[in-house]
Amino acid sequence: MRYSPGMEKLTVDALRTLAKAQGLELTDAELTALLPLVEGGRQSLAAIRDLPVECEPASQFRIL
Amino acid sequence: MTELARMIAGKKVSPVEVVQAHLDRIAAIDGKVKAYITVMGESALAAARAAEAAVQSGATLGPLHGVPVGLKDLYCTKGVKTTGGSKLLGDWIPGEDATVTARLAGAGAICLGKLNMHEFAYGPEGLNPHYGTPWNPWDVTTHRICGGSSSGSGASVAAGICAGALGSDTGGSIRIPSSLCGLSGIKPTYGRVSRAGVLPLAWSMDHVGPMCRSAADCALMLAPLAGYDPRDPTTSVLPVPDYAAALTGQVKGLRIGLLRSFFLESAGAPQRAAVEAAAKLLEGQGASVESVDLKKVDLGPAVSHAVLAPEAYAYHEEWLKTRAPEYGPDVRERLRLGAFVTGAEYLKGQRLRALLRDEVDQVFAKLDVLLAPTTPVEATAVGQSEVRIGDGTFPVRPSLIRYTRPFNLTGHPAASVPCGFTTDGLPIGLQIVGRPFDEATVLRVADAYQRLTDWHTRRAPLGS
Repeated sequence: MRYSPGMEKLTVDALRTLAKAQGLELTDAELTALLPLVEGGRQSLAAIRDLPVECEPASQFRIL
Repeated sequence: MTELARMIAGKKVSPVEVVQAHLDRIAAIDGKVKAYITVMGESALAAARAAEAAVQSGATLGPLHGVPVGLKDLYCTKGVKTTGGSKLLGDWIPGEDATVTARLAGAGAICLGKLNMHEFAYGPEGLNPHYGTPWNPWDVTTHRICGGSSSGSGASVAAGICAGALGSDTGGSIRIPSSLCGLSGIKPTYGRVSRAGVLPLAWSMDHVGPMCRSAADCALMLAPLAGYDPRDPTTSVLPVPDYAAALTGQVKGLRIGLLRSFFLESAGAPQRAAVEAAAKLLEGQGASVESVDLKKVDLGPAVSHAVLAPEAYAYHEEWLKTRAPEYGPDVRERLRLGAFVTGAEYLKGQRLRALLRDEVDQVFAKLDVLLAPTTPVEATAVGQSEVRIGDGTFPVRPSLIRYTRPFNLTGHPAASVPCGFTTDGLPIGLQIVGRPFDEATVLRVADAYQRLTDWHTRRAPLGS
């Protein structure tokens, strides 16, 4: 599911496959409406994917 | 609220009269305002009678004794429907109170009812297709948004149909409606107020806080809410200061940072002018003001998407597979987006979030509070998807959360107080951000500003 930076634009069929892998059964109309939003999300995530960061995640597990 | 609590304690007004007057007003105007999803008339009057008896008997009274409040409908209320603004939970009756519900009752507050909101708190406009979209009380003729997601909280306080309300804030949902409805509201530091018994949007970004008429009211309402809760492991054991005592009216010697690029420089002209005037006013009282920039804040939208979307999806996953048609279309679509964020991307977001927090902490090594507009625009019309700011046209939704979301990612406390009005008579909000767990200084600056101005005393046309 990890998108590589050079990945081609998503299609409705590719999105259907990804959604099914998550257990989501979406209609063609729903997939068509969702596609630009997912694409926007991918572009947004691509902008941060390769940023160097050395610190640990802000979320922590605490036993006490 | 502060004055009302004082009058009730001083036997100048009866809690029963106060609650009945609010219920009468709800009956008169809430058909238009649509602030309430559930009105708890009988239980509120019963509580008011008990409150009156306590006053008459000379019992020790809580700080909010007899004061009528409203709760955003994502706070669990034992025996009372808690819908999350959704049809999915349209008939759900929790078996216990949220910690903050119980703490407000313990402080003597009387709950008038459950307040409308953007469905499951996932939207900054405050729209609701199931229970009706609340009407911004500052415009009688045009149906304008209240801002969200705590739109019912904003509408109810502005319309005078409760004295104070609880909102919740994951991307700005206390501060945005406070700004658009001319109120004072504070998102405390992450971990200052318990989230136990609160329907989540994103566990690591959700904050609980009050929305009131003034900073002094916020201080009064925040005090009983704040503090460690064994039911919420993210709450802090740090002691809770006396917020009311912090309201000295003094800002002399305080070091204030005015957030310029990303914030002030992209705001609408009225918002920019109002915030600059507020900074100047505080400077005139002996605070020092300098311009400051947050260089990593541009990462906010991407980091927020990486963190918020999968957390929200995780909570809703089962319902999205089995009851999807029951969601409103906008929230259903937004929730589904979280299915397409990977675990690695989520953790990248959480790692970058630590960088954002560190940058803000570094700024606070030299400054006491930061100022910015709360929103770049005033309340837009319901259904309006784009807005003009300066020479450009921008989508409404991301514009509303642009200045507030960074501090949900960093967890710093942030308030919004009224600092002016547009020429159309719509409120403008000033955002005041503080150091972690230093709500006292944020409230002190807000209160000092309100002692110098009268914006917070003005009443909305639908609230007079």
